[in-house]
Amino acid sequence: MPSYIPLWCKSHFSFLEGASHPDELVAEAHRLGLRALALTDRDGVYGIVRAHVKARELGLHLIVGAQVTLADNSVLVLLAQNRGGYANLCRLITTGRLRSPKGESSVTWDEVCRHTEGLVALWGGDRSLLVGEADPGDVAAALRDAFGDRLYAMLARHRRADEVRQEARLRERAARYNLPLVAATEVLYHVPARRPLQDILTAIRHGVAVPAAGRRLRSNAEYALKPPHAFAPLFSDDPRAIARTREVADRCTFSLAELRYRYPSERLPDGTTSSEWLRHLTFEGARRRYGGAVPPDVARQLEQELTLIDDLDYPGYFLTMWEIVEFCRAHGILCQGRGSAANSAVCYCLGITAIDPVRMGLLFERFISKERAEPPDIDLDIQHNRREEVIQHVYDKYGRSHAAMVANMIRYRPRSAVRDVGKALGLGSRSPEGIGRGTSLDRLARLLSYHGDVTPEALRQAGLDPSTPLHQHLLRLTNEILDAPRHLSIHPGGFLLGHDPVHTIVPIENATMPGRTVIQWDKDDLEALGLFKVDLLGLGALTHLDLSFRLLEQHRGIELSMATIPPDDPATFEMIRRADTVGVFQIESRAQMAMLPRLKPRHFYDLVIEVSIVRPGPITGGMVHPYLRRRSGDEPVDYPHPSLKPVLEKTLGVPLFQEQVMRLAVVAADYTPGEADQLRRDMAAWRRTSRIERHRHRLISRMQAKGITPEFAERVFTQIRGFGEYGFPESHGASFALIAYATAWVKRHYPAEFTCALFNAQPMGFYAPATIVEDAKRHGLVVRPVDAQASAWDCILEPCPESAGGFAVHMGLRYVKGLGESDWKRIEEARRTALFASLNDFVRRTELNKGALAALAEAGAFEGFGLDRRAALWDVLGLVHARAVSLPVIARERRPAFEPLSLFEEVVWDYRSTDHSPRRHPLAPMRADLTARGLPDARAVAAMRDGRRVRYAGLVICRQQPGTAQGVTFMTLEDETGFVNVVLWPSVFERHALLAKTATFLGITGTLQAQQGVVHLVAEQLWSPHVARAPASTPSRDFH
Amino acid sequence: MDRLACVSLAAFPLQLLLRRHPEWVAHPVAVVAEDRPQGLILWVNEAARRAGVLSGLRYAAGCSLTAELRAGVVPPAEIAEVVATLTERLGRFTPEVEPSPEEPGVFWLSGAGLGRLYASLEEWARAIFTDLSSMGFRATVVVGFTRFGTYAVASAREGTVVFENPGQERAAAQQVRLDRLDLDPNLRDTLSKLGMATVGALLSLPAGGLFERFGSEAYRFHRAASGDLWAPLQPHHAEEPVRQSLILDQPETNATRLLFLVKRFLHPLLLTLVARGEALAELTLRLLLDGRGWRDERVCPAAPTLDAVQVLDLVRLRLEAAALPAGVIEIELTASGVPATPEQLRLFAERSRRDLDAANRSLARVRATFGDGAVVRARLTDGHLPEASFKWEPLEQVVLPKPRQVMLRNLVRRIFAKPVPLATPGRPSITLHGPHIVSGGWWMREVHREYYFVETRHGEMLWVFYDPDRQRWFLHGKVD
Repeated sequence: MPSYIPLWCKSHFSFLEGASHPDELVAEAHRLGLRALALTDRDGVYGIVRAHVKARELGLHLIVGAQVTLADNSVLVLLAQNRGGYANLCRLITTGRLRSPKGESSVTWDEVCRHTEGLVALWGGDRSLLVGEADPGDVAAALRDAFGDRLYAMLARHRRADEVRQEARLRERAARYNLPLVAATEVLYHVPARRPLQDILTAIRHGVAVPAAGRRLRSNAEYALKPPHAFAPLFSDDPRAIARTREVADRCTFSLAELRYRYPSERLPDGTTSSEWLRHLTFEGARRRYGGAVPPDVARQLEQELTLIDDLDYPGYFLTMWEIVEFCRAHGILCQGRGSAANSAVCYCLGITAIDPVRMGLLFERFISKERAEPPDIDLDIQHNRREEVIQHVYDKYGRSHAAMVANMIRYRPRSAVRDVGKALGLGSRSPEGIGRGTSLDRLARLLSYHGDVTPEALRQAGLDPSTPLHQHLLRLTNEILDAPRHLSIHPGGFLLGHDPVHTIVPIENATMPGRTVIQWDKDDLEALGLFKVDLLGLGALTHLDLSFRLLEQHRGIELSMATIPPDDPATFEMIRRADTVGVFQIESRAQMAMLPRLKPRHFYDLVIEVSIVRPGPITGGMVHPYLRRRSGDEPVDYPHPSLKPVLEKTLGVPLFQEQVMRLAVVAADYTPGEADQLRRDMAAWRRTSRIERHRHRLISRMQAKGITPEFAERVFTQIRGFGEYGFPESHGASFALIAYATAWVKRHYPAEFTCALFNAQPMGFYAPATIVEDAKRHGLVVRPVDAQASAWDCILEPCPESAGGFAVHMGLRYVKGLGESDWKRIEEARRTALFASLNDFVRRTELNKGALAALAEAGAFEGFGLDRRAALWDVLGLVHARAVSLPVIARERRPAFEPLSLFEEVVWDYRSTDHSPRRHPLAPMRADLTARGLPDARAVAAMRDGRRVRYAGLVICRQQPGTAQGVTFMTLEDETGFVNVVLWPSVFERHALLAKTATFLGITGTLQAQQGVVHLVAEQLWSPHVARAPASTPSRDFH
Repeated sequence: MDRLACVSLAAFPLQLLLRRHPEWVAHPVAVVAEDRPQGLILWVNEAARRAGVLSGLRYAAGCSLTAELRAGVVPPAEIAEVVATLTERLGRFTPEVEPSPEEPGVFWLSGAGLGRLYASLEEWARAIFTDLSSMGFRATVVVGFTRFGTYAVASAREGTVVFENPGQERAAAQQVRLDRLDLDPNLRDTLSKLGMATVGALLSLPAGGLFERFGSEAYRFHRAASGDLWAPLQPHHAEEPVRQSLILDQPETNATRLLFLVKRFLHPLLLTLVARGEALAELTLRLLLDGRGWRDERVCPAAPTLDAVQVLDLVRLRLEAAALPAGVIEIELTASGVPATPEQLRLFAERSRRDLDAANRSLARVRATFGDGAVVRARLTDGHLPEASFKWEPLEQVVLPKPRQVMLRNLVRRIFAKPVPLATPGRPSITLHGPHIVSGGWWMREVHREYYFVETRHGEMLWVFYDPDRQRWFLHGKVD
């Protein structure tokens, strides 16, 4: 039986229409013995790369196409015959997308006719003009003229009664316009079992429940990819139409592998080539970096790198990065290259990175290798509050047609999946049966983690019976929809830049954010095709440092930069060893704090190890404890083979960095550097593919041949397999360690500037402002509450001899909830004229609205006028009324005597209005009560001996359930004296799941583990403390 | 000083919700405006209140305070219906009952002149309390001197309370917490921020200052609490139905004679409606049959009317069709009216060539003869299954048709109300066209049908389907 080719297939990337992933369609086509498949998603090529990768793997011919939407809301399927046709398709989609609101597209027939070169058009299906009741005379003639013999009438059959009449019209018109007929079905899923999911997606798209969706749902399940033996009978009356599917496929020879990419060339002075200009800039930078003369080993390294960069035709890319860094420098924007770029001496000399790879002995091949014909990846961290300036600079410099941001696919995660599927099943409806279920869905969503499947147990916890048929549908379809793309978002900072217009490579569309355009591919797609990407990432820590430096200059006249911070400062390392690191970049998290007293960093390189070791790679690879034992002298440092000593010496014989893994393969298993990098990539993908297995035998046998024991060889293989994408390259660790050290140094020596800048750089980091306030107070810093008379929008420093560092931090009005920046502008302007004489004067001159004034009153911002918060609130409300009366009557009203706020109420009011309290910790007013109940504070817990049973109550500020911890949950609780770290074994967590996930004030009974200065409370019981009034708190920061 | 009682059915909609869901009684429960996370919480029970859930919060916020929270919607129509029932019921204890228009479940009862019926006010209060309890309601009955005083105390206590003097009532009212009273949530929150938790505390604020800051509602509340506001009871008086009745000397079975009896009373009924500015929308005939009890018949004219002839015609048709099993010994006529429009009163209406009024009158006669369900029309609906692609709906009014121009007329397919199982599958001598597949409904009951048009040897065109799940063929229609 002759086969056929499916020419009209839509995947999940026809958002909320197709119900299969592109690779599922390709794999199923291959399984059915089809030699080709056309992917024709709605107005886009979002899924083409994934399909291409899978098709390449299986040897299937992938036809690239799209279903384009016309201005009259009809559709036309276009397939790319060749590279030119593909470019036309991308141009056409770009035109349609850029003129339409996000998520929509529409092109005119005239535009279609101007982009026909290299494209085959299939005209048919429910929404095409060719089957409609009205005669498409003009359009048909125009298309016939434009496409010639590349226009086909598409005979679509899905065993629907209404298709009979449509087909009659189509056949009559095809005969009239002399269009050849080609057979097709509209494929929306790869197997019939996905039909319910397709119905659900349709319901979600239309915002209705499935039972009420009616004819918006397809009438049957005939939209699956059909095996040839099912397709042939469907068109048994017209075998020529089947044969034409093969004819069309044969005409479409384009493959994504043909995409050739050229990086933008710089406009170079004096006609010098990019290569010469890069060389000049590199050596000029090298002389600056090394104080005049370039050391011979550095020069050698630079020569080697520049030769490779030339060979691979990458100079343009490096020059672009240099130009962006120069722009930042010229505009006082803090930036620093991260990732494997720090392995490059060229990047160091160009000022892109701050780590000297030659001095640190970093492996250049981790960055670029000849064997791997893939572009380098330079990620540039930019202080997050000014990143938009840099992005707009890139748009300005390269133009909208040559620069577009990379997409980020928003996919269904358990929470969004359960909400959308639940609603689509009618669980959130207001029908009598739906009563209560809407909120059960919400409760269920709150109980779910960010990743992982939805389980019957979760349903039970949310009050839904998993055994009812409807809830079984919910469970099954929720898990089925997981990972399906929901809509397109924008990558935080990835740019695609091209010498040729980007829209000839991939369509461009509007992003939600004004002034942004985005391509239809994400970073994985670009990587799969080997396209260059420039990553401009926002980093709060750089904002934090920049603000700190500015405060130091403003208040102390000290000019400081990343480069001039004194290195290896003992006091800073002493603070780090104590894990006194709230607010310090990278080493402030609960896990990092637990590691610091064990690792005891004394030098910069220790910090490189510190930031790299608390990572899933080293943890799952079982490298952490051997390293710590060797570091403390509890275990001898030995090497499995003398040849590995140079590779592993820095890390005491334990591989901790990606570079070491690669070098290990080079030295112990004779890999070339490029092969070693391929090994790293295969490691990174080992969970998804079986490519890693091809290294296993090679690595182990070669290591054994070198005299390394089989046990060690096997262990190394296991370690590096768990490493891949979850481990840092040493260069990346070093770049981050540099910022970590800089922030730690500022914290140690200038706590006021550190804290003030940290407040102003929010949101960032691991802790909520309330926790930072408490930490600052514990360090002797005076933190002053907001004051309408003295506070600025940002937090400011004020001289204060009693405060640590001689300055107090005055909280800024940005922390007052309900007050906007425009309100602040009014205050600032009025204050510029004169300070406010009274509350009346403030209300009159600022003309703030009632909400803003009430917010200030409640935050205590009017205490400077001698008014407590209740009196201020009363007065503000009265003054607002008086202001609104056109002829105010002068009436002296006696202010009622209000009950003063209690200590407890003060904190509650602070949290309610500003999410923190400079006055006192929420638990401080309750301490006497808590002590009377035998509950110790955090300081007392920290001083207790190992093994002691403890009952403790504190505010939950953080919950973590790392993927590496095998279900163990970590919590950090806080009181006015410090933190208590809590460990919950899975059984305890399950037993107290609701409390563990939702409580803000929590009681724990457990056993203390105190080893090497690290204290953990291992929970056995969780309880809700019985107190007269619940303390104020902010939501915990939860990480999964 | 006249005494009055406030009867408060605390969180009244909540009580209605709990009557619907008795299994929720041990949980924190809230009545929400809409059953969705952002739905506003309107009423809460004590358990919810203890968990910090207050009216004015969003449902999601309530859930975050207690995961045990159960909630549901109580429609206003349901509340109004029960309030009307209770108002009537409370009328057994006093002639003057005023239901609160603002707060459903609160009633004021006049205690004046009840001394001969009840030995004491305590006994009166207990009787009310007991009666409401027997209906399954949790009520508080407070007998006092002022509307506000009794209302405030009734909102905060349970059972029965009788105050001896106004001072006692005032003192008790001042102790009542504001969050017990039906105050605007924003006002309540702001007062709470100012430390004003009780009625007494609120009274320490100047009334004028409250008006300036919070508006007239707060001002009125303050005046009411301070006793400055007095309003007489505005008892509910049910409107008299427009009704006529006649007791017959002997059982009457003849429809014509019955019609003449009806005719005699119809005219005064219509005159009463005219006096109210209404037209007749429905006429209820209650016929007491000899030894058989009451029988109700309703007739509805095509449009509200004051035309006695038209109404009588409908009554005649209904009586002729009624086939009364026994003689009528009593007749009661009740007229329901709606406000009359000028068109209904117009004597001479313009008439189109297609007389829609006449058509409607005819249909009204059909309804009168065969019952209300006799006149229906088909409406296309949004479903794939043939039986779900249209529905029959009552036809109230005939409208002029606007037929679409169709080039090619379809064959007419007559669809059976219920598919008929076929004994045997298709025979070789017939021709099948198809299949056309309709499948779906997996979320409730999966349906899969493979439809065929069948041409029989006799030239008949049948419409059949095969159900693979049941492995049977069905005849679903015929083509004319």
